[in-house]
Amino acid sequence: MVVSVSQSTRERILEAACDLIAAQGIDEVRIARVAMRAGASTALVHHYFSTREELLEQALIHSFELVGEGRFPEGDGEAESATAGMTRAIRECLPEPGRPHRDWVLWVELWLRAVREPGLRPVAARLYERYRRWMEALIRAGVESGEFRSDADVAATANLAMALLDGVGVRALIDDPAMDVEAAHALVAERLAPQLGIEAADLRRVV
Amino acid sequence: MSPRPQIDHIRKPQLLAAAAEVIGERGFGSTRVADVAERAGTSPPAVIYWFGSKDELLTSALTFDEDRFDGAVTERLAGLEHPRDRLRALIEACAAEYDCRLWIELWGRALRDQGAAVARQRLDDRWRDRIAEVVRAGQELGEFAGEDGIDVATIIASLLDGLAVQATLDDRGITPERMRDLALSAAELLLGCELAPQDRDAIAPGGGTR
Repeated sequence: MVVSVSQSTRERILEAACDLIAAQGIDEVRIARVAMRAGASTALVHHYFSTREELLEQALIHSFELVGEGRFPEGDGEAESATAGMTRAIRECLPEPGRPHRDWVLWVELWLRAVREPGLRPVAARLYERYRRWMEALIRAGVESGEFRSDADVAATANLAMALLDGVGVRALIDDPAMDVEAAHALVAERLAPQLGIEAADLRRVV
Repeated sequence: MSPRPQIDHIRKPQLLAAAAEVIGERGFGSTRVADVAERAGTSPPAVIYWFGSKDELLTSALTFDEDRFDGAVTERLAGLEHPRDRLRALIEACAAEYDCRLWIELWGRALRDQGAAVARQRLDDRWRDRIAEVVRAGQELGEFAGEDGIDVATIIASLLDGLAVQATLDDRGITPERMRDLALSAAELLLGCELAPQDRDAIAPGGGTR
């Protein structure tokens, strides 16, 4: 993901909205504050987004489109081994400080909204589908290359990986004393390794 | 200090049940104190009298809802002799009956409100202890192998949360049945045991008739 000087006004407004949603929660976000943060007038914000709801929805979509492109790339990973790919996947799906942490807060905001708002439901469903396809592709690649066990259940292992990552990730995000990002990574590695037929330590090496 | 509104102690459970309902339906952000008062058939000042703030109302309502779930589960477990049946009952109850919408609300608030963070930790610890208790009992009886009870419980609880999010968001991959099956097979792997009902019936005839 590149934030360049050529970033459009619309993107700048959406980025500002994402920062504010993550910092304060979606309910506290006001158009005037988004405008101030984006260095725009409220009139300009209204030019792009007719209502506050539309702005917030588009901000969440914008965030996940970017996360999706970075995190769930379609068909890359030429030189990387499947084990290295899976290790990177685990790390990128946990709330490390910085950008991943912000994205995780937005992820929880999306859960909150998608439960009830019909407009966001398909967004969440699409993201989860993309997440699952990405995870399944990583596992399948390892099965095909012989790195992972040949009888691995691709669909079930992908579900397991996502559920563990969400379950431990949210605990790390909200500072559960028993679960920091390191412990979360270790736990996921321990549980996934036997499903894949590799050693847990192989899923913990920084690549 | 304002005078005590006209309320008696019987009101509090009603208020909590109403709050759990309304927040579950509308979400914390869209819930007003007046909505809860209306659902409970009382006045907004009465709600504020009991709970002080909307945040406190959320944590109290969620605690109330969790207590209800915990009470029902505890009762069910008491009728089951084998730890493997109890563990299965815990997982099944979570997959079939637990409404995780309120739980997700609490995660959201825990990011920003200290009271919500403390409540979440307390409730999550209790749930993990509940699982750990069953795991340890099974290990003592030799029904289960595996790691320390609380570590196993943390894994199972995290897994159930993650699956519940997918099931709640109506992700095509996860139905309540699939959530139950995935959690059961993960628990079997963790504990080196069989939790399938047909297997249990073969080992303990009549075990499910209570």
